[in-house]
Amino acid sequence: MTYSSTSLKQNSKSRSRNSVGKMVFTSRSLNQMLLLIQWDLTKIVRRVIFVVMRATWFAVQVTLFGIALSYMISTRNVGLDPQQYYKFYLLGIYTSILFSITASRAYDIAEEFEEGIIEYQLSLPINRKVLAIGRAIGGGIASTIFTLPMFFTVVVLANEFSLTSILLSLSASLLFSVGIAGMVISITLSIKSGDATDILMGALDAILVRLSTIFYPSIVLRNIAPYYYAALVNPVSHLADLLRIFYSFEDFKFFVITNPLAMACYIIGLAVGVSVMTMHIIESKLEGGGWR
Amino acid sequence: MNSIKSVFLVAERDLYRFWQSKQWLAGQIAMNLADVFIFALIFGGIVRKDLVPDYFKYVTPGIASLATFVAAFSIGREVGMEVRRDIVDYLLVLPMSRLALVIGRLLGGMLRGLLYQLTFLVLASIILSSPKLEQLPILFMTSILLTSSMSSLAIAVSSISRDFNIQATFRAITYYLLFFFSNVYYPRQVLMLRFPQPIPQIVSVSPISLAADIYRWCFNYYTYIDYTDLAMLALWSSALIVLGLATYLRNLTKR
Repeated sequence: MTYSSTSLKQNSKSRSRNSVGKMVFTSRSLNQMLLLIQWDLTKIVRRVIFVVMRATWFAVQVTLFGIALSYMISTRNVGLDPQQYYKFYLLGIYTSILFSITASRAYDIAEEFEEGIIEYQLSLPINRKVLAIGRAIGGGIASTIFTLPMFFTVVVLANEFSLTSILLSLSASLLFSVGIAGMVISITLSIKSGDATDILMGALDAILVRLSTIFYPSIVLRNIAPYYYAALVNPVSHLADLLRIFYSFEDFKFFVITNPLAMACYIIGLAVGVSVMTMHIIESKLEGGGWR
Repeated sequence: MNSIKSVFLVAERDLYRFWQSKQWLAGQIAMNLADVFIFALIFGGIVRKDLVPDYFKYVTPGIASLATFVAAFSIGREVGMEVRRDIVDYLLVLPMSRLALVIGRLLGGMLRGLLYQLTFLVLASIILSSPKLEQLPILFMTSILLTSSMSSLAIAVSSISRDFNIQATFRAITYYLLFFFSNVYYPRQVLMLRFPQPIPQIVSVSPISLAADIYRWCFNYYTYIDYTDLAMLALWSSALIVLGLATYLRNLTKR
């Protein structure tokens, strides 16, 4: 999608026509937000190489790495047999992929900054709050759609086909992804540097994934208190364990980091809280230029 | 003589720039330390002792091996940025041959890898045990071969495209291939028991695996060394240096 002169004219026409009236203004904002979401979605279609490479990465993770790790697990120490651990790992690794792909939106934003697209978007007749929320939701939806093949691969490998579980998992994943997209947008737009973004996202990805319940259940983490508390506040742990509960409550009810309701609240709070923060950053701190 | 001076000048510049990127260094060290002090430490608690008696000690030399890749890839990031922002045009008009420039970059990447890896070698000698005098030349040779391989690979991969996303994705994919197809996290016998050939064979001849096994011997985790590992690492190094030189030379002028 490009912001054609037609859509610009439509926006300004609708603004002049509807300069008063809260309901009408909301509908215009919604329209603008949909345009922004569409912008993020169309970017995926043009990323064939990126999609193929991420899919390869995922395939190696669920085959070689996951199978080797599950074979090394001591059932006596962890309370999960290799098959259960593999299922545990699969849902964790889906979360990790979703997180990494959503965090990679930072590279898109960095590229847009380098190409002057951010300045262009700032010059559009779009409220900055709408711009912020539209990019966060667009990034979240795009990343969730991007990971759908991986999600269904996990569903097939875990042999769990409950429709309720699938719908709940996708909703939780979408909310999580919106939160993380908002977070990386805020970070990238605050630091305004492609190289710093590259470095920071790499480090953030590595630390958040390891300090979470992706590879090991929370009962193992409890042996090392600082790691346990870090995992407790880590959004990655909450989504991974929430998905495990959605799919196999009986298998994993003693292994999750906290109770399911608290995890669900955390994910909702993340999406809402970070979106508000993104709005604040874009509205009050972001001006064109200054990119390094 | 002038060419040799140019090579060292380019390498010196790269080394200087390496010291300037303190934030990047801190981020990378944090990543590698996270593998040792978070992943290996926690996961070690749930690993079968009959397969890996001490997982923490098993993983540490592997991370020292993997670390060379991360550091050498910093040169890849810079080469990628130079290609994207047309800084290569400035490099091409410098009064030196293209070959000197390219060799200088490879040398710079190798020196970065060696310096960066030093921290993890010291860490391994603390966590495991210090190498004996007769093990030191093998340790040094392994590091030279590994860092030169990784530096060449990084330069080749990063100069393939002018697109930032493709560069980052290629780097990530190469990293994950070396990461997963290595014995850093799982020993060969686990792969032999669980996977059909040629997977265990491929994993055991990857440059990271070969170097990790040599380091495990150097730090006395293994009691034996297979010298063919060193020979194979030398082969990898030669092949990747040729690949790196050829690709970078070609992509310097490609538009």
